[in-house]
Amino acid sequence: MNKISRRDFLKFIGAGSIGAGAGLLYGKSTKKTVELLLPQVIPPEDYSPGIATWYNTICQQCGAGCGISVRTREGRAKKIEGNSNHPVNQGRLCAMGQAGLNALYNPDRIKSPLKRTGERGNNSFTEISWDEALTTLGSRLGNLKIQKHGDSVYLLTGGVRGHIDKLFATFMEAMGSDNYFHYDFTHPFALYEANRIIFGEEIIPYYDINNANYVLSFGADYLGTWISPVHYSLAYGHLRQGRGNQRGKCVQIEPRMSLTGANADEWITCLPGTEGLLAMGLAHVIMNDGGYTGSDQNEWMQAVTPYSPSVVSRQTGVEVRDITRLAHEFMKHQPGLAIGGGHTEGNTNAVASLTAINALNYLSGNLGKPGGIIFNPEPAFPNMSIKRQANYTQMLELITAMTNKGVDILLVHNTNPVFNLPPAAKFIEALHGVPLLVSLSSFMDETTALADLVLPTHTYLEAWGDDIPEPGVGFPIASISQPVVKPVYNTQSIGDIILALAHQIGGELPVALPWTQTEDYLKDSWKKIYQERTPVDATAGFDDFWKAALMSGVWGENKTRPLIKFDRLSNNQIQKIHVSQPSFAGDEKDYPFVLLPYLTQTFYDGRGANLPWLQELPDPMTSIVYSSWVELNPKTANRLGISEGDVLEVQSIAGTIRAPAFLYPAIRPDVIAMPIGQGHSHYGRYAQNRGVNPMTILAPEVDDTNGALAWSATRVRITKTEERIRIIKTDGVTRTLGRQILGNNSVHT
Amino acid sequence: MSDYREPTYAEVNRDILRTLLETGSRYWIVFGITATIAIVCFYIPWIYQWHVGLGASGQSRSDVWGTYLSNFIFWIGLSHSGTLLSAVLHITRSGWRKAIYRSAEAMTLFSLMTAAFFVLIHLGRVWFVHWSVPVPNQMGLWPNFRSPLLFDVMAITTYLTASSIFIYMGSVPDYAAVRDASTGLRRRLYTIFSFGWRGTAREWHTLGWAYTFFAVFVIPLAVSVHSIVSWDFAMSLVPGLHHTIFAPYFVCGAIYSGTAGIVTVMYLLRRCLNLERYIREIHLDNLGKLLIALSLIWAYINILELFTGWYSGSSFQYEALTYKLFGYYAPLYWEMILFCAFIPQLIFWKKIRSSWNIMFVISILINIGMLTERFLIVSTSLPRKFLPNAFGFYFPSLVEISITIGSFALFATLFLIFIKWTPCVSIYEVKETLKPLRRVE
Amino acid sequence: MGKMRDKLKQYLKPGYYEKYDYHWGMTIDLDRCTGCEACVVACQAENNLPIVGEKRFKERREIKWLRVERYWEGEYPNIKLRFIPMLCQHCDQAPCETPCPVAATYHNQDGLNTQIYNRCIGTRTCAVYCPYEVRYFNWFTYKWDEPLEQQLNPDVTVREKGVMEKCTFCIQRIRQAKDHAKDDGRRRVRDGEVTPACVQSCPTKAMVFGDLNDPNSRVSKMYKNPRGYKVLEELNTLPKIVYLKKADSDV
Ligand SMILES: Nc1nc2c(c(=O)[nH]1)N[C@H]1C(S)=C(S)[C@@H](COP(=O)(O)OP(=O)(O)OC[C@H]3O[C@@H](n4cnc5c(=O)[nH]c(N)nc54)[C@H](O)[C@@H]3O)O[C@H]1N2
Ligand code: SF4
Ligand code: SF4
Ligand code: SF4
Ligand code: SF4
Ligand code: SF4
Repeated sequence: MNKISRRDFLKFIGAGSIGAGAGLLYGKSTKKTVELLLPQVIPPEDYSPGIATWYNTICQQCGAGCGISVRTREGRAKKIEGNSNHPVNQGRLCAMGQAGLNALYNPDRIKSPLKRTGERGNNSFTEISWDEALTTLGSRLGNLKIQKHGDSVYLLTGGVRGHIDKLFATFMEAMGSDNYFHYDFTHPFALYEANRIIFGEEIIPYYDINNANYVLSFGADYLGTWISPVHYSLAYGHLRQGRGNQRGKCVQIEPRMSLTGANADEWITCLPGTEGLLAMGLAHVIMNDGGYTGSDQNEWMQAVTPYSPSVVSRQTGVEVRDITRLAHEFMKHQPGLAIGGGHTEGNTNAVASLTAINALNYLSGNLGKPGGIIFNPEPAFPNMSIKRQANYTQMLELITAMTNKGVDILLVHNTNPVFNLPPAAKFIEALHGVPLLVSLSSFMDETTALADLVLPTHTYLEAWGDDIPEPGVGFPIASISQPVVKPVYNTQSIGDIILALAHQIGGELPVALPWTQTEDYLKDSWKKIYQERTPVDATAGFDDFWKAALMSGVWGENKTRPLIKFDRLSNNQIQKIHVSQPSFAGDEKDYPFVLLPYLTQTFYDGRGANLPWLQELPDPMTSIVYSSWVELNPKTANRLGISEGDVLEVQSIAGTIRAPAFLYPAIRPDVIAMPIGQGHSHYGRYAQNRGVNPMTILAPEVDDTNGALAWSATRVRITKTEERIRIIKTDGVTRTLGRQILGNNSVHT
Repeated sequence: MSDYREPTYAEVNRDILRTLLETGSRYWIVFGITATIAIVCFYIPWIYQWHVGLGASGQSRSDVWGTYLSNFIFWIGLSHSGTLLSAVLHITRSGWRKAIYRSAEAMTLFSLMTAAFFVLIHLGRVWFVHWSVPVPNQMGLWPNFRSPLLFDVMAITTYLTASSIFIYMGSVPDYAAVRDASTGLRRRLYTIFSFGWRGTAREWHTLGWAYTFFAVFVIPLAVSVHSIVSWDFAMSLVPGLHHTIFAPYFVCGAIYSGTAGIVTVMYLLRRCLNLERYIREIHLDNLGKLLIALSLIWAYINILELFTGWYSGSSFQYEALTYKLFGYYAPLYWEMILFCAFIPQLIFWKKIRSSWNIMFVISILINIGMLTERFLIVSTSLPRKFLPNAFGFYFPSLVEISITIGSFALFATLFLIFIKWTPCVSIYEVKETLKPLRRVE
Repeated sequence: MGKMRDKLKQYLKPGYYEKYDYHWGMTIDLDRCTGCEACVVACQAENNLPIVGEKRFKERREIKWLRVERYWEGEYPNIKLRFIPMLCQHCDQAPCETPCPVAATYHNQDGLNTQIYNRCIGTRTCAVYCPYEVRYFNWFTYKWDEPLEQQLNPDVTVREKGVMEKCTFCIQRIRQAKDHAKDDGRRRVRDGEVTPACVQSCPTKAMVFGDLNDPNSRVSKMYKNPRGYKVLEELNTLPKIVYLKKADSDV
C-alpha cells in the first residue's frame, strides 16, 4: 500500500530471498547443546566468523505484527531491524521492537522451570528439571481429563494469533475445555464492536492514512501506540511529504496531547469522554449543510437532530465555530478519515462514540476508497483471537469461576492480569480458589510470582510461530517466526511445551496434536496455505515454498476484496447511533479531576518496563526516564501551588497512589494524566520498585455497551504532600528562547 | 619608621639564615597540618577519582569542565605576578624589589605546580597524558599543534622551566651563604646547590648578565602564558567565553590576583619569620598602588565584557551575560564585583595602604573574588550554550570541593618546604640596598 | 626529498582541503519526524551505547549519540510541541576538532568528523567547543549486566572511562559498504548502500543519508529542498545535516 504495492510485494516473494542475507534456518531449535572442548571446530553451516547472518522473523513486542530482520554474528543476536519485505512495517521499526534484544538477553529471565516451595507470593521457588515440570503438570491435567473435569482447566494468554493460537485451541478442545481466553489490556474492544455495528464485521479495516487528505483523529494516537504505529507512521510520513505538493492535514481531538497530537496541524481539546458527541455534532453540521445526499438521508437527519452545534458545544467544551469549521473541512478535503482511539476508548460510552466516529466516514463517503477505509479480504487462516479476547466483564466471570472453585488449573501465558487488571477485580483474591496456577512465561512478572509452577518459555526470538497481522494491509499476508539464536537459557518454546503436554496426557490429545515439534506442526499447517491459496509459483514444491517464505519472513497473495457496498445502512443500524454523556466514578466535587492513564510507546501496557533501553529512552513528550509522573496543566498547578517534582497523592474512590507532579503544558486544566507501565513489584531489576501503576486506582467502570473496562472514567483528587523529588528528565529548557533552531523565522524575543 | 635601623651585613646573614637553620616546633606543626590536608583532601580524592572515573566529580553533560579547569586558571593566575614583577622590577632597577622578589618567585613556582596538577586531575585518562607532548613515538602521531591546549602545555612547561631557572639562578650566592653557615650533610648538599660558588668577580659578572637576560626572557612568557590559557576558552564559540577581550582580561586578572597573593605571602613571612626589618612599608605601599591600578583595569574590562555582550545583539551572548548577572550564581557574581572592583578602592587611602592587617585582609578578599571569577567563567557559560534543550546546571561534588581545599594546603606545603631550603629573602641583594660599608674608625 | 616536494605541491593546490573522497551528509525532514525516538534506540543498539542507569541519568550523564530535542511553542490551548533530532552534524569546519590536543577527533577523507576512542585522553575540550552538544563523555566505565553484553555489536568497540564519544555516522557501515564495493570490483559505493542505523529504523522515513559528492544521490537532491536549513548556521561550522523545516498545511 505504502510504497510496497501488491505487485512489488509479489515480485519479492517470487525472487526468493531479498536483501536480508542468507536467511537459512538455524537448525533444530531443540538440538541438544554439547559442550565442545574446541568450540566451533566444525561450525554450523550458517555460521561464518566475522560475517553476519540475518534471519527474518516477526516482532512480538506488540500486536501490530511487524516483520523483523535479526542480525546475528557468531550465533548471537546483535541487532533487530525491520524486514523490508514486510508490508506492515516495510523495513522500519519502533523503539519497542528494537529493544527485543533486551528481552532475549535479559539478565532477569527465568532460567529454568520452577516449583513453588513456600507460601504463594513469597517468591520462594526451587529449580526443577523440565521432565519433572512436564510430568507434574501433565499428570495433573491427565487426571482431570480422566475424571472428565477437563473443563476446569483454564488457559489465559496474551493476544496470540496464528497457528500457536490454533494449537492452544486444539489442545484445550482435546482437553474438553472451552475455557481458553486472551487477556490483552490494549485490545481495542470498543473499536471492534463499533465496526461490527456499522460495517457488520468485527475486524479492523485498513485505514488508508497514506492517501488521505484529512485525518480527523478523536484521541487515536496512531503515531504512538494505536494499533499499528510503525505502519501508520510510514503512512503519516507519506501523507506529509510523500506526495509532492499535496500535504494532508491532521487534526487531533483529545483532552491530553499525545505524540500524535503534537504532530497534528491542529490540536483541539474536548471534555473527556465527549469525543463521540463531538462527532455527532460534526455529523449534524454535515447533514444540515447538505453534505450527505444518500438514500438514507432522512434516517440520518433524524439520528443527528439532537446534536446541534450549540448543544454539542456545551457538552464538549468545543466552540461552535470550530465544530462547523471542522465539519466543513472534513467534507471538503476528501478523501478524509475519521478515527477514534486512545481515551475515546476508555470511557463508558466508548462503543457509541466510536460508532459515531465511524458514521462520519460513512457520511463523507470514505468507505472502500483510497485515502479512506478499506476492507481487508479473508485472511489466509482465520483469526480467532478477537473472539477469544476477554474484556473486563468476561474477566470478572473468570474471576468468579476461580473464586467458586470452578478452576482447577489456570494456565497463564504472556499476559499479566495481576498488573493489568484494577485491584477492584479481585484477581489475586480469587487465586485462593485455584489449586494450581501455572505460568508459562519468560519473565517473573507479577502473575508469575504467584504461580505454583513456572514453565519458562522462549522469547519470540528463540521460537517458532506465525502470524496474520491484524489489521491487515489490504491483501492477505502471513508471516513466520523462526528462532534466530539458540536458546539462551534452559527454556522451551510454548508450542513445544503444549505438544509435550499433549503426549504426556495421552488419550485423544496426541491424536489431535501428533507433532512433537512446533516447527513440524507449523510446516504441516502451512502446507494447507500452500495447497489452498494461490501458490506463488505453481511449479515449486512445498519445500521451496517454505524456504522462500522463511527467507522472506512473510508470504502474501495477490488478492483484494471486492468493495463492500455501503449504499445505505439499515434503519436499525442508524437508529442505534446515539451517544450519551460519559459517566465517571467519583463525585465531581470530591474528585475534581478526571484521571487519564495512557499507554506509552516504551512500556506499552507495562510489558516494556523490564527492558533497559526503554527505561532509558526519554519519554517522547516529557523526556522523563525511569519513573512515573502526574501530568497537570501549569495553570492548575499554579492554582494549587504545585511545582514540578512535588509528590502528589492521587486519590480515587478505589485507592491512592503517590507520584511526582510534572507541569504538562498541553493538557486540559480539569484532567490529569499518568503513564501506564511502571509500578512493577516484580519483573526484574529494571522494572521492579519503580514508579506507580495508575491501574491500581481505577474504579471498575465499564462500557455501557460491551462491558469492557472504561479505564479513563475515574475521577481523582490530588493533594500535595511534603515530599519533593527531582524528576529525572533529559530536557533542559523546552522553549527556543527565540533562537532559530526549528527553522521557523520566529523573531528575536 | 624613625626607629628603623638598617641591619648590618652580619645581621642580614644571621636574620635570614636563621629562618633556614633554626626550625621550631611551630613550623613542624604547621607543616604537619598542611601536609596532612594535602594528602587527605587532595591526593586521596584524586586517586579515588582516578579509580572510578571522572564521574567522581560533579561534572556532567551540563558542564564538562567544572572546578578543575577554573582552579587551574586561578592557580596559573596566582603564579603570574611573582616572576613577572621580579623581572620587570629588576630591569627597571627598582631597589625595593630586592627584599620581596624571592618569595614572590617561589609563589610563582608553586602555584604553577599546583596548576599543573589540576591539568592532570582534569584529564579523563591521565595515564596517557604524555600523548599531548610532542615526543617521537611508535604510533607515528604528533599532538595537534592547532590546539590551544597544546599551546597551553608548551607555554606552561616553558614558563615553569624558565621561572625555575630564574629563581634558582638568583639563589646561587645565597646557597653558598647557607653552605658557609652550616656543617655536615647540609653543607655537602649546599655545596652542590651552589655549584661551588666562590664569589669571584667573574662569577658575579656572569650571574649579573645571565640574570638580566632571563629577566628579559620571562616577561613575554608571563604575558603569553595567561593569554594562551585564555584561548582555551576564547577560541571556543561558547557564549560568555568567545570574547576577544579574554587574553588581556586573563593577563590582567592574573597579575591582579598574583599581586594580591604577594601581599598575602609577604604579610605571613614578615609575621611568622620576624622579617620586619626587611619586608617594609615601602613594599606594601608600592604593591598597594599596583593593586589599585590593576583593580581599575580589571573593572574596566568587566564593564567592557558586559558592554560587548549587550552591544553584540547576539541572543546567545546576551543570555549568557544575563544569566551571569541574575541567574543562579548571581550572588557569586556580585560578591566578585564587590571584592575585586569596589573594596580595593579603599587602598587609595594612604592609611589603609600602610596598614599591614587591612592590606592582608583585602589581598585575601581579592583572591576570593578572583577564584569566584574563574568559577563563574566556566560554570555559568558551559551549562547554557546554544541549544536551550541541552541547558543544565553544575554544582561541584565533594571530591571537587575537597581537591580545591587540598590544593591550597598543597601550595602551602610546598612553600613551607621552600622556606627551609632557600632563603626567602635574597641575602645578597638585600645587602646591595644597604648603605655601602665604611671602615669603622 | 622529492616525495616531500610532491606532497607539498599537492597540499598547496587550491581546493585540496575541500575535496573529500565521499562527502557523507544527511537530511532530516521535520515535517515527517514525529519524535518517536525509534532512531535513538537504533543508535544505542548499533553503536554499543552503555546502559548508564537511573543514577547517572539523574546526574545528567546519559550517553545518547542521537537525542530528540523538544520545544514547546505557544500556550494552552494554542500550543504545539516541536521535535528535532540532534546528532553530530559532522561539520566541515568542526569547532570540536581544533582544540583536541592529541588529534583524537579529526576530519577524515570522507568528510566525517571521526572520534578515535583509544587516542582520546579525556580533556573534554571538544565537548565544550561543540555548539550542538552532541559529544558524550564516559564518566565511568559502564558494565553490561550479563548476558546483555552478548548483543554488543562486534563491529564497534566499547569505550572505557575517560573517553569522549559521539555519532560516527555509523562509520562501521560505511566501511562495510566500501569493502563490498571493492569486492564487487567497483570503485565507489552506490547511493543507498549505506544506511546508518537511525536512518534505517525511522518509521516515517524522515532521514535521508548519502554522498553529497554525488549530485544524483537522494541526499543531494533533498539538500536543495527549499525548506532546508541548518541549525545554528550563523556559527559557520558548515554542518552536514540539513533539516527540512516543518511545513504548514495548505488546508
Ligand atoms: N593481537 C594479536 N594478533 C596476533 C598475534 C598476537 O599475539 N596478538 N599473534 C599473531 C600470530 S603469531 C598468529 S599465529 C596469528 C594467529 O591468528 P589466528 O589464526 O586467527 O588464531 P586464533 O585466534 O588463535 O584462532 C582462530 C580461530 O580458529 C578457531 N578454531 C580453533 N580450532 C579450530 C579447528 O579445529 N577448526 C577450525 N575451523 N577452527 C578452529 C578458533 O575458535 C578461532 O576463532 O595471530 C597473529 N596476530
Ligand atoms: S509496532 Fe513496534 S512493537 Fe509493535 S510489532 Fe511493530 S515493531 Fe514490534
Ligand atoms: S525515528 Fe524518525 S520520526 Fe522517529 S524521532 Fe527519529 S527521526 Fe523522528
Ligand atoms: S556537531 Fe559538534 S561534534 Fe559534530 S562535528 Fe560539529 S562540532 Fe564536532
Ligand atoms: S576529550 Fe578526547 S577527543 Fe575530546 S578534545 Fe579531549 S582528547 Fe580530544
Ligand atoms: S548515524 Fe549512526 S552513530 Fe550517528 S546517530 Fe545515527 S545511528 Fe547513531
